[in-house]
Amino acid sequence: MKPELHPIDDIQAALDGEGDNLPESDVPPHTPLLEVRGLGKRYGGVTALQGINATVNSGEVTCVLGDNGAGKSTLIKILSGVVSYDQGQYLVAGKRVKFSSPRQALDRGIATVFQDLAVVPLMSIWRNFFLGSEPTRGFWPFRRLDVEHAQDVTVAELARFGLDVQDPHQPVGTLSGGERQCVAIARAVYFGARVLILDEPTASLGVKQAGMVIRHVVQARERGLGVIFITHNPRHAYPVGDRFIMLNHGAMVANVTREDIDLNDLTQLMSGGADLDELAHEVQEHHRGPAGAWKPG
Amino acid sequence: MTAATTSARVPVTPGRSPVLRALSRPELGSVIGAVVIAAFFATQTDQFATSAGIANVLDVTATLGIMAVAVALLMIGGEFDLSAGVLTASTGLVTALLVDQLGVNIWEGIAWSLLFALTVGFLNGILVTRTRLPSFIVTLGTFFALQGVNVGVTKQLTDTVQVGGVDDAQGYAAARAVFASAATIGDGEFRVAILWWIVVAVLATLLLVRTKFGNWIFASGGAPASARSVGVPVGRTKILLFMTTATAAWLVGTISVVRLTSVQANVGLGEEFNYIIAAVIGGCLLTGGVGSAIGASIGALIYGMTQQGIVFAQWDNDWFPLFLGGMLLAAVLINTVVVRRRAEDSPG
Amino acid sequence: MTGRGTWSALVAAAALIVAGCTAGSRSTANTESAVESLSLPESATATRPSEGDPDRRLTFAVVTHGTAGDPFWDVVKTGAEDAGEASNAEIDYLSDPEPGSQAQLIASATSSGVDGLIVSMADPDALQESIASAIEAGIPVVTINAGEERSAEFGALTHVGQSAASAGEGAGNRLRDAGVTTLLCVIHEAGNVALEERCQGAARGVGGAEQGEDVRTLQVNASNIVETETTIASELQADPEIDGVLTLNPAVAVAAATAIDTSGSSATLATFEFNADVLQAIRDGQLLFAVDPQQYLQGYLPVVFLALYARNGNVVGGGQAVPTGPRYITQDNVDIVEDPASIGTR
Repeated sequence: MKPELHPIDDIQAALDGEGDNLPESDVPPHTPLLEVRGLGKRYGGVTALQGINATVNSGEVTCVLGDNGAGKSTLIKILSGVVSYDQGQYLVAGKRVKFSSPRQALDRGIATVFQDLAVVPLMSIWRNFFLGSEPTRGFWPFRRLDVEHAQDVTVAELARFGLDVQDPHQPVGTLSGGERQCVAIARAVYFGARVLILDEPTASLGVKQAGMVIRHVVQARERGLGVIFITHNPRHAYPVGDRFIMLNHGAMVANVTREDIDLNDLTQLMSGGADLDELAHEVQEHHRGPAGAWKPG
Repeated sequence: MTAATTSARVPVTPGRSPVLRALSRPELGSVIGAVVIAAFFATQTDQFATSAGIANVLDVTATLGIMAVAVALLMIGGEFDLSAGVLTASTGLVTALLVDQLGVNIWEGIAWSLLFALTVGFLNGILVTRTRLPSFIVTLGTFFALQGVNVGVTKQLTDTVQVGGVDDAQGYAAARAVFASAATIGDGEFRVAILWWIVVAVLATLLLVRTKFGNWIFASGGAPASARSVGVPVGRTKILLFMTTATAAWLVGTISVVRLTSVQANVGLGEEFNYIIAAVIGGCLLTGGVGSAIGASIGALIYGMTQQGIVFAQWDNDWFPLFLGGMLLAAVLINTVVVRRRAEDSPG
Repeated sequence: MTGRGTWSALVAAAALIVAGCTAGSRSTANTESAVESLSLPESATATRPSEGDPDRRLTFAVVTHGTAGDPFWDVVKTGAEDAGEASNAEIDYLSDPEPGSQAQLIASATSSGVDGLIVSMADPDALQESIASAIEAGIPVVTINAGEERSAEFGALTHVGQSAASAGEGAGNRLRDAGVTTLLCVIHEAGNVALEERCQGAARGVGGAEQGEDVRTLQVNASNIVETETTIASELQADPEIDGVLTLNPAVAVAAATAIDTSGSSATLATFEFNADVLQAIRDGQLLFAVDPQQYLQGYLPVVFLALYARNGNVVGGGQAVPTGPRYITQDNVDIVEDPASIGTR
């Protein structure tokens, strides 16, 4: 995992002035929306996840950090209903649930935007926006898509997130990566998501694009959603996170609030302190020493 | 939303202009091809542009078109059905055997035949979605299984491999009016199958662009994982699509058996390729997510015009498959380029 | 001589390419099942005609190039099975339209030690090696249906069949006598040598000359009878000089009868092979005659010949080809064949 070296200020700058004009949410802030207790999952004899305890509150961003293989994707799959868990409890609004499909999770207000799977590239923006929840009018067998309504809503909702769409027929594939994520986030918010799970939304994006996505994360938070932001990059997580959960080898190694930790500690914790120190040392050696001194083995 | 936020809006990355996008419609290439071919044969032969000639072209086109439209829907949904050709024989055989062996009313036979087709389509769909095997392999299995059943059952029941006597059935006159009647316009005998084809193409177009299910078809073929994550029932959509091709096969099988009054157990083999060819010429992408019912209909029309046009032109029609292969390759290349332009030139 | 196997083979081949060709091919699978299905005779090595108990039940393998469900080959199969019953012989009927697979079927029949082999040779060159090893292993071979000209060369006891060229010529003669000058010969299977030979024979018969410039051929798709019908109608419209149509398959014959009707042509129609609909058309005067290759005999006779050879050392006709046809079915004799046709022996 290479640490991304762009300055955090870019992200912070992108956030300034956001969220000031958003409407009030119907849920009071800091209300628990989703909770897991001792959550675990085994695949055959392999423990993919165990002993996860966490609470996601409204109007807060909960960041889930961890290296590849730490159990992040298993956790998201359980929360979003793609797979089921086999240990512990999963509560939504105080009630125990066990989802067998993403549709069931959606119906309980838990929307997930998967990395690279956010949209169908060849379909138009408005068709993507309403995919799976298409508005119809008329009676069967004359029930049909309410195309005008769908297009109007799409343009209006994306405008609320700061995207100016001239032509809702434009295929989503022609949008940039960040814009695609935004379409998916705006869609989840419009369809009444209480909890928004974002799976590595900033991976493979440049600084500007990542900043745009993070701005939308903040907007979603301001609108009262509980956001679960999965990332391996503490620099993307720290500016927006209210709470940080760190996973390693399927177990939870930390669960801290923003007040308890600063970016350096977070980075340290996330990468496993010793590893990072070693890396920093090697990088320094490389820059300091003469060209001839750096020879492999 | 207040003015402050509105002013902070950023225009999205622009796509192609609407004019350019119209040029990348999946069926555009086939429309141009159809016009060129029609103009060519109309000027080069005496029969093509007569009402008899048009009737012959549309006769071939109609049944192929019905199947091509259904296969196009399935291909947009990201799957293939190689059993569709043989199923046209199976459905005809079910009707003919019930009528000939048990003496049932032909409408009853046709109803059972529909049930049989829906069952086959459902099985294809369940097998593909549950096993996650490529539909190419699963329906290849169904293809051979049906081929065996067609011959085996027919032979068992009749001692031959042909079932006739459909015209002796009760209700045949009415069935003929619905499925196989013809109207004479000028010298041409225009078959009612042409109307069926138009109805199927129009319904399929409305389904694709104006219904929820149509949206799901595009999504299931274009990006099944994304579709699933926003709650689209991808598996159910695909099962229904397999049942749609099976229903189309039932319609074509019924049109044929009522018209010919008999059916041979070994017909329909290889026809599935013509359906796929027509759909691809009409702009369907082999990887799913792109295509149209109108395009598939035009693909079928190109097949019909060329197949009959070559005969009218008194050319050696041994060469027809060569032309068909050339058309297919050209269509695949054009489709690929068009789609790449449509979606993959996203900047940044 | 028909067979829609080409497509099945294509489908299988395409599938294998897509599947990455990990498993064996369809024909291999066939061969394996063939080996299982062939029952070994008591004395597997003793297959010389004079050896063994004269009352012993014999085992003959019939290996043809027909496709499953082809009406023509079903009658051949029935003929062989009926003769097997009459001659106390076990019949193993195997078929594959692919010449290579057919050779494999012959090889597996040989290795299981059958008492006799009956082979149709649509592609003699492809089968030469496997037939030679069968004969080397002491298994008597009778060729049927196709491959008459190579039969003796390969060492077969005899050939039972109908020469496509002479049958075509006979049909052409009859059409000429009925006043046909310009004939359309409809081929329903591209690249089938026997069908081409029938058309060339018919050309000689109609024209009386070697060239046959008065014969047009038309390729149709027998998998789609509606398309076949329309294609023939288009051809008749495009060339009004055509006054005779010869089809080579009964389903195509029925389609041609309708096509002649809808296109307003007055062409005389005749066909090779027949089914109930063709007989009805002959009765109604829509069809002048059907050439009956009597393929039941192509299944029945070789079994009898091989049984007589195994038990009594007889060879019919000193190795000369035994013709099973042509027999012409016309309005005059149509009622005689009506009954057997419906039970699958014509």
